[in-house]
Amino acid sequence: MIKLLQVLIDGTLVGLVYGLVAISFVVIYRASKIVNLSQGEVLVFGALFLWTFTFGVKALGYDMPLWLGLLVTMVACVGFGLLLERFVFRPLIGQPAFAIFMASIALLVMLRGTAQLVWTAETRPFPAFLPGGALQLGPFMVSTKLLIGALFTIALTAGLHLFFTRSRRGLRLAAVAEDHNTALSLGVSVRGAIAVAWILGTVVATFGAIVFLSGRIVSLEVASIGFKALPVALLGGLESIRGAPLAGILIGVGEAVAMAYLDPVTNGVASNVLPFAVMIGVLLLRPQGLFGWKKIERL
Amino acid sequence: MGLTLTNVDVVYGGVIQVLRSANIEVPDGKMVVLLGSNGAGKTTTLRAISGLLHADLGEVTAGEIQFNGKNIANGDPIGIFDLGIVQVLEGRKVLEHLTVEQNLRIGAHRRSDLRAVKHDLEKVYNYFPRLPDLLPRTAGYLSGGEMQMLLIGRALMAAPKLLILDEPSMGLAPMLVEQLFEVIGRINREEGMTVLLVEQNARAAIRQCDYGYVMDGGRIVLHGTREQLEQNQDVQEFYLGLSIGEERRNFRDVKHYRRRKRWLG
Repeated sequence: MIKLLQVLIDGTLVGLVYGLVAISFVVIYRASKIVNLSQGEVLVFGALFLWTFTFGVKALGYDMPLWLGLLVTMVACVGFGLLLERFVFRPLIGQPAFAIFMASIALLVMLRGTAQLVWTAETRPFPAFLPGGALQLGPFMVSTKLLIGALFTIALTAGLHLFFTRSRRGLRLAAVAEDHNTALSLGVSVRGAIAVAWILGTVVATFGAIVFLSGRIVSLEVASIGFKALPVALLGGLESIRGAPLAGILIGVGEAVAMAYLDPVTNGVASNVLPFAVMIGVLLLRPQGLFGWKKIERL
Repeated sequence: MGLTLTNVDVVYGGVIQVLRSANIEVPDGKMVVLLGSNGAGKTTTLRAISGLLHADLGEVTAGEIQFNGKNIANGDPIGIFDLGIVQVLEGRKVLEHLTVEQNLRIGAHRRSDLRAVKHDLEKVYNYFPRLPDLLPRTAGYLSGGEMQMLLIGRALMAAPKLLILDEPSMGLAPMLVEQLFEVIGRINREEGMTVLLVEQNARAAIRQCDYGYVMDGGRIVLHGTREQLEQNQDVQEFYLGLSIGEERRNFRDVKHYRRRKRWLG
């Protein structure tokens, strides 16, 4: 029993990290109707920027305070997001979904190559932003880092939800998410909204990197979290900010349970396969996900 | 002042000419109606004015569109919106997944005079007394008539100088159409708001307008004041469905007659 509860706690916390990365899919999809498959690589770029502006500069003999490194990283992320939007995806606006899909795969490979070229493939330590160790709560162990990350995800979700439903800027983005032509007729800059969405997506992905990697090792393999978050985004609904963390918990718990009980029997396959089995199930049974926008059809 | 289209040509994709030398004038404070059958070029005219042609690869290739002395042909839609030209697209384009309240708020998203915005919201409620009860509802699930109220309300929230309505009566019951046009007429008279209205439902539209244009095949084939239009035989026959003689006309003759009429444009 205690083992099961522990598994549930771990699953929930890890799931919320997936949810955080899934939010980065969602904000981009809402504005531009693009599912960026290379979001995992974007996250790795965020992580590598952060390494560069902390340990990287330190190795060169400059000492940058952590907060400044974080700030510079965020600025770099904004630039990086804008770059992707401007030179890869903006020219593809209005192209068939398949073209955009293929472009995001091409981008995935290119980003991987670029990362290897610039930073080489060696693994690096990641600065420990969040305290390591674990809290002892009764019989349970809770990773402090993941707990802070989980709380951050929940706060970010609530904040983004308020932003999209209350603030003017957010409503503009919501209008663009609904329909580009209608948004344009209301005087909303569609290009501007998409650019903002990419900035948000890149920054959120970097937050995901910070939570996920704090005190761990950065390598190009980390990008696979992008593929873990994709089923989460689909399950929650590609338009739904609030769906992402909830779906993250579902998938995280499922994965943790599978890891604890099925993996010993299946040579560790079950937990890896589960999220994608869920993904196919979602696409077959409820393509709009749990909280996504169902196309409103009236008779 | 007001809106003037002079010899405007619109070409889609570089080859398909849809507007041929269209001349339209919408004076300040007046309500002008643009009539025509499907494919006559009405919506294209509106898109040319509000700068939304670009999304369909269309372009104004000749002529001028002047609004208060400024040429806005092929302009940036946001710049045109800021000049005060607000278009309600055809097909009841509410922001489906947002609430009625959010839809209304987005209408005023470029305004900073919050007090005036509040005042305008009261005005919208005054014209459409049903809207306040619908505020928390999801816009996509409103009835057709309610959506149309919301759309016009949303456009009014932008405090437009020129309100452009593209077939607001589409798919509405005849009684709702009457009511809707009555409200549009009131907005025009009470606010002094310039209105350009595109319609297929000619009877109700002509009754409210000051001046009207009839389009066919991308040209303006007829124009005149309300009285002139109401008395014009062709308009009576084709748009108001009144037959001139006692006996019913043979449809083939009508078609023939109409075909001949087209050349006059």
